[in-house]
Amino acid sequence: MKGKCYIQGMAAISPQQTFEGDLFSAPLVHTDSNLLACMEPDYKPFIPANSLRRMTRVLKIGLTAALRCIQDSGISIPGPIVTGTGKGSLQDTEKFIKEIVTYKETALNPTPFIQSTYNSVNGLIALQQKCTAYNNTFVHRGFSFENALLDSMMLIQEGTSHTLTGAFEEITAEHFYIKSRIGFWKENKTDSRELYQHLSPGTIAGEGATFFTLTGQPSTQTYAAISGFKMLYKPAPGKLSTTLKDFGESADLIITGRNGDSNHEHFYQELDSCFPGIPQFPFKHLCGEYDTAGAFGLWLAAQIIKAQQVPRQWFPQQAVLSAPVNSILFYNHFYGEQHVMLRLERV
Amino acid sequence: MAERVFITGIGMITAIGDNVAGNLHRLRSRQSGLGYSSYIDTIHRQVLPVAEVKHPSESLFALAGIAPTEGFTRTTLLGLAAMREALQHAGIADVQSAPTGFINASTVGGMCDTEKLYFDIIDPEKTGAFLQYIDTLDCADCTQRIADTIGFSEHIATISTACSSSANALMFGARMIKQGMLPRVVCGGTEALTRFTLNGFNSLKNVDKQFCRPFDQQRTGLNLGEGAAYLVLEGESFARANNSRILAELTGYCNTNEAFHPTSPSPDGDGAYEAMKTALAMSGRSLEEVSYINVHGTATLNNDVSEGKALERLFGDQVPLFSSTKPFTGHTLAAAGAIEAIYAILAIQQGLIFPNLNFSERMEELNISPVTELMEGYPVNNVISNSFGFGGNNASLVISKYEG
Repeated sequence: MKGKCYIQGMAAISPQQTFEGDLFSAPLVHTDSNLLACMEPDYKPFIPANSLRRMTRVLKIGLTAALRCIQDSGISIPGPIVTGTGKGSLQDTEKFIKEIVTYKETALNPTPFIQSTYNSVNGLIALQQKCTAYNNTFVHRGFSFENALLDSMMLIQEGTSHTLTGAFEEITAEHFYIKSRIGFWKENKTDSRELYQHLSPGTIAGEGATFFTLTGQPSTQTYAAISGFKMLYKPAPGKLSTTLKDFGESADLIITGRNGDSNHEHFYQELDSCFPGIPQFPFKHLCGEYDTAGAFGLWLAAQIIKAQQVPRQWFPQQAVLSAPVNSILFYNHFYGEQHVMLRLERV
Repeated sequence: MAERVFITGIGMITAIGDNVAGNLHRLRSRQSGLGYSSYIDTIHRQVLPVAEVKHPSESLFALAGIAPTEGFTRTTLLGLAAMREALQHAGIADVQSAPTGFINASTVGGMCDTEKLYFDIIDPEKTGAFLQYIDTLDCADCTQRIADTIGFSEHIATISTACSSSANALMFGARMIKQGMLPRVVCGGTEALTRFTLNGFNSLKNVDKQFCRPFDQQRTGLNLGEGAAYLVLEGESFARANNSRILAELTGYCNTNEAFHPTSPSPDGDGAYEAMKTALAMSGRSLEEVSYINVHGTATLNNDVSEGKALERLFGDQVPLFSSTKPFTGHTLAAAGAIEAIYAILAIQQGLIFPNLNFSERMEELNISPVTELMEGYPVNNVISNSFGFGGNNASLVISKYEG
């Protein structure tokens, strides 16, 4: 993607204390259950109680993160809403599948069906914001958020002043089990703080909702500029390294989606060998692995480049930056299939 | 100046045909694809009509051009069948011959197969070949299997905006071409019937026990359908250099949200009005130049009022000829936008206006009624194709005759 856009506002609901408070002194939330669940905020300031009762978890975190992001951006005029989600509302999907059987296909409550629709969060945001602009939802595993980002950058190129761009994902106990049957998670309980030391098949699960307000012009409040963006689908051998080298030339810090999964670690090792000596900060010990974890990684990268510091309790081994960070290379992949590179610049 | 976007290949499979020619034949001969399901495991099988593709999944493998393989859902197979035809029609033997993107659309991914296996999948006591289907539920599964089978390795994406999904896929692909990101993108959607969606729409009391009656006073709901359709989009400079045969031009499009209700359109059709108006403005065509509107026309109580009002608001007392082809194909959800975009091209190429079946009585809220007989030899230059969905998602496309 050519062109540039700016992050004007952000919000994240994640397993860490990211929704409010000072991120740079936030404690490190950890688990040894192989599943990092979201810290859910108080929804009441954002969603009326009568709506809240009906909504399932991913709808709540998605809508709330979106609304918080709009607040943070200071831009109240609604613009296009573009999101990504790999799985949508799993809770509603599971519920409706089961109710069909339990109630023998009769007298079913339509709410879980409606909420299982992948674009239901987008619809809710539009409804709440009275936003009639462009609205789109991408559902493509590790390219879900990234296609939403691409779409948003295209909208900005086409002349849109700003977009609300985000991602949301949940993990349920049932879906955790389903994915465990095909080796998504580590077999042994792993302390999330030591995720990168325990190289073995699988990783740990996570979830979250992350939203950005993207603009075509910088402002005094801008977190960072996104100045480069590349997606690679199942790259042929050698392609990743060549692309990374071209792409990350100027980087003085790297954010990676490394996750302790020995099946796909070799991609991150390619990254290591392309950029020896550039400090790396992995983020999956904070949010776990999920289709749209990349959105959380981008949020973290933007926080770091703006504040010129790293959240010290999240990275106790390398809490101090030795040099100014003007350019960040972000690299993430989802189970070796969807690979994403982003370049962030300091504004 | 942004590239013009041409359509250079089409492929489809629906309840009224395994390919474009089959669909055209049935449209011309007024033969609906509605009937009762042979393949869905549901108590509604003999109650709620559906428009099912008349092949069991096993025989779809041949149409998809692959040997029977575990893990290929009906959604994927329908998609592959339509994809093969679209590429062949565009004369593309190898998608690697030029950078080619693939933008797919789906509403429930591989639910058609996973809903049959779900309780085994979540039962630790059960194991077997069904585990090959474990990761086929999400919408990306069909896209990636189609991409890997065909050999797409450039940009891939899957869109899910309910019933407007594949209209949005076409729009996204066209925009990528206009931005110079890719010279060629294959866009469309695939949808298989499922017990899940049938019960979903039925729980909303939106499904007609009779064959659906779009824009009819007595209509009581939609019938679901299944199918897949893909269109090859090429930028003008590439199409010319490549000597591509140009079927039609995608001259306008608009995606807008109604922000009215999670599942219902506004009574005055604000979203539909805005989508059509903006798409037409982009196309540079005037109201008078619209020859035909292939309406969303699901035959739900709300859609047809809303869409009809929008037509009257936009066109006044000069509403162009319009019809819903849903009584032929059922409502194919994520595939509908692409299927109907192909019908728009057929209307232009063949000089046809397709009949809106099952119409007998004008709606009391409207002063307009759809075309009910096949019209032949009618000059069709510009078609608006509408797709509206849950979540307030409205999408309109303008497809125009190619005139050099």
